[in-house]
Amino acid sequence: MARLYEYQGKQLLKVFKVPIPQGEVVSTPQEAKRVAEKVGKPVAIKSQVWAGGRGKAGGVKFADHPLDAEIVANQLLGSEIKNLKVEKVLVEEKLNIEKEYYVGVIIDASREVRAPVVMFSTEGGIDIESVPSEKITQMTVDILRGFRSYDAINLARRLDVPAAFLPAVSQAISGLFNTFKEYNCRTAEINPLVLTRDGKIFAGDCRIAIDDSSVYRHPELGISVAREAATPPTELDKIAWQIEEGDLRGTCYIAQMVTEIKGLNYVGYHGMGGGGAILGVDGLNRVGLKIANYADTSGNPTAAKVYRAVKVIFSQPGIEGYMLGGFMYANQEQWHHAHGVVKALQEELPKRPGFPCVLLICGNKEKEALEILREGTKDLPGRIEIYGADKVYETQFLAERMKTLIAEYRKERGINPVD
Amino acid sequence: MHFEEQTIKVVIDESKCVGCKTQACVAGCKLYDRGILILKDGMPALGGDAAFARRVGTECLACEYECWFRGNKAITIEAPIPGLDEYRRKHGVL
Repeated sequence: MARLYEYQGKQLLKVFKVPIPQGEVVSTPQEAKRVAEKVGKPVAIKSQVWAGGRGKAGGVKFADHPLDAEIVANQLLGSEIKNLKVEKVLVEEKLNIEKEYYVGVIIDASREVRAPVVMFSTEGGIDIESVPSEKITQMTVDILRGFRSYDAINLARRLDVPAAFLPAVSQAISGLFNTFKEYNCRTAEINPLVLTRDGKIFAGDCRIAIDDSSVYRHPELGISVAREAATPPTELDKIAWQIEEGDLRGTCYIAQMVTEIKGLNYVGYHGMGGGGAILGVDGLNRVGLKIANYADTSGNPTAAKVYRAVKVIFSQPGIEGYMLGGFMYANQEQWHHAHGVVKALQEELPKRPGFPCVLLICGNKEKEALEILREGTKDLPGRIEIYGADKVYETQFLAERMKTLIAEYRKERGINPVD
Repeated sequence: MHFEEQTIKVVIDESKCVGCKTQACVAGCKLYDRGILILKDGMPALGGDAAFARRVGTECLACEYECWFRGNKAITIEAPIPGLDEYRRKHGVL
């Protein structure tokens, strides 16, 4: 799922007539002051990061005057909220909250449903998972029939929304569903949907995520990497995404864990098969090594795709080793991985003699794949160890081998980890 | 000769193929790919037109590998990643 920031989501909601507070997104304190002046009332200044619970983490603050808005924006911009750097803040009118509701639309992907589900609750402003079930009402939408205005009214009525606010609340519910549908969302949520003391309804906050497979339909959203991630894509993530973007033959997932490696113990990590690959990460972590990136090539990718993945992994300055970890018996034809890895190592290792590489590959065509790896790397100047099925569950052993090879590599280069 | 598959370009220096006794690229192509390389007059040749190579080739890289280790190092496969060379220069990676 490709996430949108709150300010982006609100712009989509606005298209579908869900009222949003007056405001603008800014990236400098001076702009924050200008927007606060334009709003002409006390404002909320909200860090635009992909994290829930921003308020409790200090990412949402208030200002009564434009000058205060500038000061507060200056505090927030550049700070970190839940380990995410704040680069933009949304400056918008502060709402006088009378009541908070919740509206959400998700896909129920279970075999017997496979349809959108609209949820409404009178308990907004908190995680919907913590709301008692009797305070949540929901409707599974028949996509051929659609979601009608009266469906939204019925949802609100079931939880006794006062009649005076039914039209506005139901319009917001319908607006969210239409946003969900038109922008091919996987999830869309307004939380809280705010009823103000003067009886108006506003989307106080929202979370919207677009289905990865539909991102190409919405170039206007400017999503550079159509994939769920905790943080915005790095420069290298964007380059790596090109391997995957137009080529659906197998997967090539690459995500940088650190954009700038400071210090030692970082390994370029190349897993095969997402779940199993995590085992390798755990093993490395247990011996004090860290992954500079997480990568997964699986689903029988082409050798060319695997080659490109390795090239991207080796492009990270500061890594001290490369681990290829297929910590499971794979059904994919592993000889394609072997060919891709060998081609990349043939290019990379002559430039960094002695570089540690631990390669584990097993499953379909394992014998041939191991032969390719052995033959293809036998004359290369790296510290290369190759393992097969007999070590598939030996994550700790493989991690320790990597640690040992790194120690040798450091010694050879005169690097003392204590320095 | 050269031909393109979906995302790669295969370049074969035919002057090096003269005297090759193994033609391992063709055997490798048959084993790991869909046999788009065939033997014609003792030399590797594409078994169809450019569209055929693009449609049928599976980018297995095997012809290059086989030629390295059992042939005359006549094959080079280009599999570029836009922006990566610039990124490496910028970050001081060789």
